[in-house]
Amino acid sequence: MSCWNCGAPSTPGPFCEGCGKVAVRQITQTHFDTLGLPVSLEPARAEVEKAYRERSLLLHPDRLAGAEGLERRLSAEQATALNEAYRVLRDPVRQVFYLLKLQGIDLEKEEGGNRQAVDPTFLEEIMELREALSDLREQGDLDAAQSLASRVKTQQDAALADARAALGQRMKNPDDGEALQRAARSLARVRYYLRFLEEVADMEEEAMS
Amino acid sequence: MSSGLLQIHDPLKPKGQAIGIDLGTTHSLVAAVIQGKPSCLPDEEGRFLLPSVVHYAANGSVLVGERARAMAPEAPTDTIVSVKSFMGRSPEDPSVQRMGSYRFAPGEKVVRFDVAGGQPVTPIEVSGEILRALKRRAEAHFGSRVEQAVITVPAYFDDAQRQATKDAGRLAGMEVLRLINEPTAAALAYGLDKGSQGHFAVYDLGGGTFDISILELVDGVFQVKSTGGDSALGGDDFDRAIAAKVFEATGESAPSPARIAEVLRAARRAKEALSTADTTTLEVEGHQQTFTREDLAAWIRPLVERTGRVCRRALRDAELSADQLDGVILVGGSTRTPAVRDYVAELFGREPLGDIDPDRVVALGAAVQADLLTNAEREDEVLLLDVIPLSLGLETMGGVAEKVIPRNSTLPIAAAQVFTTFQEGQNAMDLHVVQGERELVKDCRSLARFRLSGIPQLPPGAARVEVTFSVDADGILSVAAQEQSTGVRQEITVRPSHGLTDEEIEQMLLDSIDHAEDDMAARVLAEQRVEATRVLVDLEKQLANFGQLLSKEENGAVLQAADRVRRMADGNDGHAIKDALQALEHASQPLVERVMNEAVSSALTGHSVEEY
Repeated sequence: MSCWNCGAPSTPGPFCEGCGKVAVRQITQTHFDTLGLPVSLEPARAEVEKAYRERSLLLHPDRLAGAEGLERRLSAEQATALNEAYRVLRDPVRQVFYLLKLQGIDLEKEEGGNRQAVDPTFLEEIMELREALSDLREQGDLDAAQSLASRVKTQQDAALADARAALGQRMKNPDDGEALQRAARSLARVRYYLRFLEEVADMEEEAMS
Repeated sequence: MSSGLLQIHDPLKPKGQAIGIDLGTTHSLVAAVIQGKPSCLPDEEGRFLLPSVVHYAANGSVLVGERARAMAPEAPTDTIVSVKSFMGRSPEDPSVQRMGSYRFAPGEKVVRFDVAGGQPVTPIEVSGEILRALKRRAEAHFGSRVEQAVITVPAYFDDAQRQATKDAGRLAGMEVLRLINEPTAAALAYGLDKGSQGHFAVYDLGGGTFDISILELVDGVFQVKSTGGDSALGGDDFDRAIAAKVFEATGESAPSPARIAEVLRAARRAKEALSTADTTTLEVEGHQQTFTREDLAAWIRPLVERTGRVCRRALRDAELSADQLDGVILVGGSTRTPAVRDYVAELFGREPLGDIDPDRVVALGAAVQADLLTNAEREDEVLLLDVIPLSLGLETMGGVAEKVIPRNSTLPIAAAQVFTTFQEGQNAMDLHVVQGERELVKDCRSLARFRLSGIPQLPPGAARVEVTFSVDADGILSVAAQEQSTGVRQEITVRPSHGLTDEEIEQMLLDSIDHAEDDMAARVLAEQRVEATRVLVDLEKQLANFGQLLSKEENGAVLQAADRVRRMADGNDGHAIKDALQALEHASQPLVERVMNEAVSSALTGHSVEEY
């Protein structure tokens, strides 16, 4: 593909390197490309925030009020991609899922998630946690639910750290299939923890209103 | 959707000054940035606030503002007050039945006020009159045409209410550059004024609604972190609380509507008096009652505390605690009540800012945004990033609302979800788009229904329908659905089921006086330019993906026709662009056919024989 405006060859970023106009968004553009950041195992929140603000000032449609229709439309597409990249990479949990996706495993897609074998003992553990939570919800015992949540949060952080470490190995050595599988298994567990924590958050919200 | 309603920027056409409008429930204001500073524009008698009241006279004339309000006692059914509460509402909505003493024309899906002087009018038309009056005020001020505006809406307005507001702006003959949320506008007025950085809470308590927004301002980027609100809580509830105490004192258990109205008016005066005085005496026929600021504070405490819960939730959504805030901004007349100010100070642990008139701050912020969007010579780099206030979702099995875009997502945003068929032989899928935070569809706001047909007859669960929601910077939604194996696709811009259709709005536009001045040829040109751009971008994509399906001659013909469209689009003849587009459509027919064949055959080869 080449630039719609000047014909220079397209690059992964949101602007044409030839003329500086907003580019047609490429399917190969990763969230890192969108933000202009190097692929990293643990993108720092402050850097993501800064890149997001800088790029928003450059390519949000509101900043291109004088531009023609086509460039404005492209900028709307790019701004949408930018918001999505920001949402994913600023979040310490979502960023790891995304790194796994870049390595070829998309746990967000239903079949991908189901296919991921989860250890039966782990499942048993989760079931017990959920039962305990549903009892607490019935009793309206928010304090106990919150302390349960903080335990689960610790486990989630550990699983997330495992996944990150395994992904680091895989990124160093693209042939390391074992590391990739380990990352996927750890993140599959994180999914269960997340759902548990969401439920506690719902309970907190109910208590507030 | 009819392309006749697209709004575009035509750089060739001078637009004049862009204005900011606060379209309020009780009153409205217009402001503009003049020599770098936002200021509200007064009417010829020096008044800034325009009462949001429209009177329809038997002779067909329309009055707006003070003169309309003066007509309300003698012609209540022909004088529409608080029209904002009707925007985007369906006639069946219980809140519509409750409000005012209007006559409604029997109407299917749209509220129509049966007023004197001709046809029944919709809330969009009534709001359009208010906007037109403000537009004229600005035109008189600048001595030139005004065609572009930023209009504010409550953060809690849903898609239907936003659409209705935008339509009202078009009806008034203006290009609506942007709808912005009222609290965001207020923050913009403050933030730029002070050149500050950090986190701000905007606490907006009006007559009937409460809104809270948490914003972050860093390096010129104004980012809304979260919003929340209660659309049924405001200063009017304070009046009712006072009135209840009065009836308690008089022992009236079943007062007449007239008596209630009398006591409510007195209650309101007493409340306003207590904004400056420590005690006041309320007088109604046969009763006199003296009370203090502290009495009032105690009576309204439960109401004020309700705002606290909403604020805490908004802070939580923004992942902030109160002590991390750098400022709290007050908006709305009801924040003049000292008990509210005290509570806000207590809640956030700091004195709120209030140095810009809370009645004007929203219009001033809208003017700033209008200037940001149109004035390329501004030296400061500022950008406003707003969020969607309410989650958007789809109805799934069992009447459950599946969220596709969660509330407080930064705009613009797009998100997709894959759904599947569940019945043997199912070849269509009904999609029901809803907005709201509740689990069940029946508790959410229904926005639109549409049907994706032509799904291949696959076993249950085999067809994969991807539904994509896109929300633009105004917070307005479009939905596209695509069956993934065949590429069958359908797209709509959501027009709320009880809103007006594009055709109706177009008709109103045609009927409106301002429109008569419009140049039809310019409109055709504008439409065709947009269409040309759209077609060319699509074509580029198709050629990139499927160009190899064409012979050299066919490819050459397509490129030649595309080039012609491009040249015509640079010219000034809308009909010539239209003809060139038709020629291009003809030239790209082989491409379209082959892409279709490709899609069908790949769909067939993608499945084993047993599946059929």
